[in-house]
Amino acid sequence: MVDHPAVEVDDLHVGYGSTPVLVGVKLTVPAGEGVCVVGENGIGKSTLLRCVSGLQQPDQGTIRVFGGDPGATPEFWRAVVTTVEPPTWYPGLTAREHAELVCRAHGQDPEEAGIDEALERFGLAGHTDAIPPSLSSGQKQRLVLAIALLRPSSLLILDEPEQRLDREGRADVASLLSDYLEGGGSLLIASHDETFAVASGAAITTMESLSAGTP
Amino acid sequence: MTAVPLAPVRRWISRTQSSHRERGATLSSLYVGLLSVAIIGGILHRQLAAVFWPSAPNASALAGASLVAVCYGLLYLALRRFGPLALSRPAASWLLPAPVSRRRLLLPSLRIAGFTAALLGALAAVAIVGHVAPRARVGDEVALLTVGGALIGLALLLVAAAAQAGGRWGDAVDTIAGLAFAAGLVGLVTATTLDSPVGVTDWPPAGTLVPVVAGVFVVVVVVLALVVRGLARTPSDRILDASRTAGTLFDTAFGVEPSFLTDMIERRYWARRRLRSTRLSSRLPILIAQDLLLAVRRRRRLLWLALATVLPVLLGSAPGWVLGAAVLLGCLFAGLTATGNARTDAGNPVMLRLLGMTSREAVFQRLWVPGVLAGVWAALALTALDLLGDLPSGPWWALGLTLGPVGAAAAVHRARVGFVRNELLPLDTPMGTLSTGPLVNAVMGPDLLLLGVPAWIAIGQGSLSWTTVLLQGVIGVAGARVYLAGTTSLERTELSAG
Repeated sequence: MVDHPAVEVDDLHVGYGSTPVLVGVKLTVPAGEGVCVVGENGIGKSTLLRCVSGLQQPDQGTIRVFGGDPGATPEFWRAVVTTVEPPTWYPGLTAREHAELVCRAHGQDPEEAGIDEALERFGLAGHTDAIPPSLSSGQKQRLVLAIALLRPSSLLILDEPEQRLDREGRADVASLLSDYLEGGGSLLIASHDETFAVASGAAITTMESLSAGTP
Repeated sequence: MTAVPLAPVRRWISRTQSSHRERGATLSSLYVGLLSVAIIGGILHRQLAAVFWPSAPNASALAGASLVAVCYGLLYLALRRFGPLALSRPAASWLLPAPVSRRRLLLPSLRIAGFTAALLGALAAVAIVGHVAPRARVGDEVALLTVGGALIGLALLLVAAAAQAGGRWGDAVDTIAGLAFAAGLVGLVTATTLDSPVGVTDWPPAGTLVPVVAGVFVVVVVVLALVVRGLARTPSDRILDASRTAGTLFDTAFGVEPSFLTDMIERRYWARRRLRSTRLSSRLPILIAQDLLLAVRRRRRLLWLALATVLPVLLGSAPGWVLGAAVLLGCLFAGLTATGNARTDAGNPVMLRLLGMTSREAVFQRLWVPGVLAGVWAALALTALDLLGDLPSGPWWALGLTLGPVGAAAAVHRARVGFVRNELLPLDTPMGTLSTGPLVNAVMGPDLLLLGVPAWIAIGQGSLSWTTVLLQGVIGVAGARVYLAGTTSLERTELSAG
């Protein structure tokens, strides 16, 4: 995996109906590094992340993730974690049990993985017994991030991870992402907050600079 | 705050809505509705007569008393589940927060619910009397008992409406109604196994019934007045909940999409529960441990399932093939009690992607708990039939256990079905156009019960050998394996392509 860049996007074209959203987009995220795409709403950041995650088919162009096609294979999803889609939570399972389920599925020991510490760090210590649908949108966002960072992965694709977090929460998440990069992981995020992006250790780029032509 | 008169607002809404409809659309809907009822009534009149007024009484006193508990217990539980007071979704959005009289806003809903409850109560009374009363007693007593049934229906509605507005005592009444319903079912099964004399000869005369019914009438009127007086105190959140239920019910009916209703009931159930995080069993594969935890957390559902093992006894006198079909369907329902997680995975694979599992591994693990439930349920049901003499002696318990894989495959297949595909081509039949989407959706799941054909034949013929048990075991396991291999892959995570 380390022989290839984490993400390589070339000449990507995506449109909704007759409206082009991504035109000739080119992007490389080297393995072990982070890139943060910034830009105003509606410019196509989430669409780009969805295509890189293999959750949306582009009209044209190539996308390689660790040298392979992004897609629905279990190998891909063992290496990649994305938060571009909100999860559907399991019925009758608490927030802590969701985290434990994901850790155990990846062969981690729940105690060693530090589930309780992670939930506490994300301000969810008092909500471990809550079912996720009963949490606020900010708490759900933090739970998704906590689970995404708990399980092993090689690439994180995060869509506006700073959203619905207070200032302290943003600083904590940025620090965790920075640790993730130091641990050898790769990062592709879309964000509105350049301070957050800098703190997370990701290189900032704009959608305009990635695009061959402004849509 | 001054309340705005509600009647002119409602008149304006009704006038504006009708101006957007085609001329005569309401009359046309009414005509089609009445015609449908007349046609269905004409087609099913023999079956309806058998249900409500058989040619001779055919149930014992115990069965009659049990039917009372079953019918009225179910009526109360249904009233509570659907409100009983609800507003349409637009009214809940626009009129509930408006400065209008809450009592006047809810009165039409109370009227409709009252009419429905009284009608259902009266119909239940007619059916119960029809099954147990000697035919010489048609006349005043039957009329009085029917009125009494309608009044009981009304009384149950009033209790349900008070429980909707009231505190925690409503939950206690729900439990009592549930217990009455369960006791009624047990009574029905017991009545089937006993050779009690059919019909009740010792009926109270009209002279005794008149004051009783009049007394109940007075009580109902007084309670009705109290409920109407207290209508304004019904909390908004309860009305909003009931309105969402009513709206979802309409969506389910018009979209022919039962999952809308089942999903809402499931969401609401878990929202009310207070859970404590527990460690998932490390001895079991992770998804089996999760399914097991979910099943254990719904203990009441498991109790109902255990109670339902004696229900096939009610069909003891029915043709063998009906009994066999009932046992197979029971397996499906037993398995379905543990497929909530499979349904979540099929609806949205986000969690499966986070888990990084192949669809084959996931479905394989998801089959186990439904399989155990289906197998144990069938073993208990067939043992009960064996012990009560509805089946000749044989290794029926073993046949039940071999139905586990059949119930598991059918239940998981059903859980993976997803939404009704309304884009499928409709079929033109002499009776009219038939929408195929709901039909295809309805048979997915039950179709895999065909793997239980050896058991069906054995129950139908009333003879069982160990060879049949072995054959059923082999077909069940092989069928489940073929289902797993044919509908999953080692190369994808999504389950929906079942």
